[in-house]
Amino acid sequence: MRKPRWSEALLSIPSFGWLVVFFAIPTVLVVALSFKPTDLTGSAGSGWTLDTWRSLANPVYPLIVWRTIWLSASCTVVCLLLSVPVAYWIARLDGKWRQRVLLLIILPFWTNFLIRIFAWRTLLHPDGYLKSIGVALGWAEPNDQLLYNNGAILLVLVYTYLPFAILPLYAAAEKFDFSLLDAARDLGATKFQAFRSIFLPGIRTGLLTAFLIVFIPALGSYAIPSIVGGPSSEMIGNKIAQRATTDRNLPHAAALGTLLTITIFVPLGIVALLRRRDRLAAAARPSLPGTLIP
Amino acid sequence: MGAFIELQNITKTFGSATVVSNVSLELNQGEVFSLLGPSGSGKTTLLRLLAGFLTPDAGRILINGRDVTALPPNLRPVNTVFQNYALFPHLTVRENIGFGLSVAQREPSEIITEVDRMLDLTQLHDHATKKPSQISGGQRQRVAIARALINKPQLLLLDEPLAALDLKLRQRMLIELNKIHEEVGTTFLYVTHDQGEAMSLGDRVGVMNHGRFEQIGTPNEVYEHPRSRFVAEFVGDTNLIAATVIPVPDVGNLGLRTDQVGAVEYDLGPQRHHGDVLLTQKTRDIPTGATATLSVRPERIAIRRDPPPIAHEQNTIHGIVEDVVYLGSRTHYRVRVNDRLIEVWKQHRRFLPDYAPITWHEKVWLSWFSNDGYLIVEPTSPA
Amino acid sequence: MKPSRLPLVTSMLVLGFFYLPIAMLVAQSFNAAKFGGQWNGFSFRWYQELWARDDIHQAAWNTLLIATASTLASVILGSLAAWCIHRYKSRTQRIHYGLIYAPLVVPDILMGLSLLFFFVNIGVSLNLTTIILAHTTFCLSYVTLVMLGRLQDFDESMIEAAQDLGASWPTIIRRILLPLLGPGLAAGALLAFTLSIDDFVITFLVSGPGNTTLPVKIFSMMRRSSPQVINALSVIFMSVTFIIVLLSQRLSRPQS
Repeated sequence: MRKPRWSEALLSIPSFGWLVVFFAIPTVLVVALSFKPTDLTGSAGSGWTLDTWRSLANPVYPLIVWRTIWLSASCTVVCLLLSVPVAYWIARLDGKWRQRVLLLIILPFWTNFLIRIFAWRTLLHPDGYLKSIGVALGWAEPNDQLLYNNGAILLVLVYTYLPFAILPLYAAAEKFDFSLLDAARDLGATKFQAFRSIFLPGIRTGLLTAFLIVFIPALGSYAIPSIVGGPSSEMIGNKIAQRATTDRNLPHAAALGTLLTITIFVPLGIVALLRRRDRLAAAARPSLPGTLIP
Repeated sequence: MGAFIELQNITKTFGSATVVSNVSLELNQGEVFSLLGPSGSGKTTLLRLLAGFLTPDAGRILINGRDVTALPPNLRPVNTVFQNYALFPHLTVRENIGFGLSVAQREPSEIITEVDRMLDLTQLHDHATKKPSQISGGQRQRVAIARALINKPQLLLLDEPLAALDLKLRQRMLIELNKIHEEVGTTFLYVTHDQGEAMSLGDRVGVMNHGRFEQIGTPNEVYEHPRSRFVAEFVGDTNLIAATVIPVPDVGNLGLRTDQVGAVEYDLGPQRHHGDVLLTQKTRDIPTGATATLSVRPERIAIRRDPPPIAHEQNTIHGIVEDVVYLGSRTHYRVRVNDRLIEVWKQHRRFLPDYAPITWHEKVWLSWFSNDGYLIVEPTSPA
Repeated sequence: MKPSRLPLVTSMLVLGFFYLPIAMLVAQSFNAAKFGGQWNGFSFRWYQELWARDDIHQAAWNTLLIATASTLASVILGSLAAWCIHRYKSRTQRIHYGLIYAPLVVPDILMGLSLLFFFVNIGVSLNLTTIILAHTTFCLSYVTLVMLGRLQDFDESMIEAAQDLGASWPTIIRRILLPLLGPGLAAGALLAFTLSIDDFVITFLVSGPGNTTLPVKIFSMMRRSSPQVINALSVIFMSVTFIIVLLSQRLSRPQS
């Protein structure tokens, strides 16, 4: 039934308006602010300038950006490698067990993530259990540092984002028709071949979602490098927070934030292109000649 | 005059497609009207226009003299039985059926009485407290019907209600629907693509195609006297033979010159005429030279191994049997005549122990009488 | 054909990996020792100390207040958004959907930063209200997505059937939509609530002096190293969240 336009407008205004005011405008503000000079109080001064951006040329920043990308990418790869077999396994369980296992996976996820990072800090502490066990087993030297370095950050990043990867992959695996794997085996493929050329492409959407859902938040990590990372392991997030709070240099923080946003557009763009390619390929696929079934 | 329910020049377009094109229809009070057509014919759109879920781009809808065109569905004296039943899953059968009455804020005691009456009518008493998920498809369909009828609508719309049921259940439900209609007497509009349903249920049948009615009439009229090739082919099966009208030496018949069925013999009195002319009964005046289509239903054609004896007003053609489909009560033959396939149905009425049934590649003679076929003359201008 | 063991083994390792720190936390919270290194005997002393800390109570109270307010706001806004996006397929709604989806892809720190700048720029001082506004903003997207999922599974013809039977929109909402979408709403609300009490980075950036939430408090405590009390606090926090999650699981179970 053709509804009058006003009802759509009226119902949309609350959330639409809210998001424009509290999301869209602030985002634009950040970009705008990066083009302003810093005044004495650390806020934005009058006029426009490129100085804030020029100051990012300082060699420490590219290093931080690189480290951020590198850590996020590694985390994403590890998460995908681990979560694909897990998603596969859960999707093959039957109903009752599936619910239970999913609950088991989600449960730690729902504890406050600061608490979990804190738990890892304790575990990895020089005086902590893991170190003691490691030394006792001969895997580590007494002077080894498990904490306050890139390795610790990577470990906790994986810990934090693994559930984010498992869930969309499970959602895709659940929709996957497993009899296709049987068909592949029937036609002579080995287990691994079937897995690689039938299963993986079959959960393609899940893989893309998992990639996005891990990589992008990881790029913006703040708490994790702050708590378990050392001074030589800073990520963009740390610097942004630092500039925004302790250093009180808002335009600078804005520039860094904009830089992060740009960094995020790259994976987003790639995935969007891949998705579009999938859609076009599906639409252009020629229909099967004739129908074999009357 | 004014019929009970009137659609006047209804047109509905979606984007650039005209789905219902200047349709007018009159429904009589208490009748069952079958709206028959293929998918895309506009029949579902017409139903939704009547229900109020769509507004026509042009035209009016009148119910009992009242213009309801602008009325939303909840204010129209019309109720719908949806194709997927649309039962409320969180309500029991009883609550589902009584929904319309409770929305109208009737007295609880009244609602109970009415619901009980409906439960009796549809034999659902044993399931009154169950939820839709706990009953079968056929039972859900009856709940949908009861839920609609309890409001005593002036028009009941049924949107392909039997589509989701299996064959035996469908046959049973058709009989039940008939019984229900007899009991309540409400005007039914029954939308379907199944001509068997349409004809068995409907007092009248309207055949729709490409947004307009090709023919409206009783099931007999539509079947025996199809107004167009489409109707002839859609309602039942038929053989269509294109021909030109010529006069013949008999006042009750017309001749049809055709090149589609090879050598033809027609009998007038004791005389057998050979050539390319078929005989058809003259039901109306058609000018010589007009092009027309002869529709002959497969059950009207007799099939023999030898030429039939001369019989007044009989047509005979011959060909080779190409397909045989045995169906138990009858056999379907497809006979190649010239370069056409003619369909013939032979009913197995008697058991003849020494009879070897006609089979593939046999040469056979097909015959029918001039009043067994019907001549279709369609307007020559494109629709 | 014996299926490969690899998925099972990996899954078991992953599950163990997940619960290792949590198990340790719980154990440590009952450890009488001051530092994590050794086990000094079972003790409730950290819970007792927790009980006495007023600043933690205040933070907990703030957290609850903020969560309730933002849940309420985001559920209302999110349901409206989901309804519009689902029902009206127009260009406006496509932009609407984009606006809803965008916050989900933006890292916390950027959102916190932009909101901080926004509030500073319009001259609003940072307090509980700014935190509530911030939380509502990101919860909104999650609630909308949950409700959209629900609406997509919802059989539209039921609304038509109700209209056909005489119901007007208020009746339809009351007797059809709310009962059938209610569990979805509840699930969305629970999601929003949990996200709010959990949030750290955004809250950290938009909260002013003197009003902290529990996560921010935990963070500052970590800096100041009173580790064992944090363990006890964490265990309590975890238990509360677990209960909420179990509730939400029960409510989002599909109707049989």
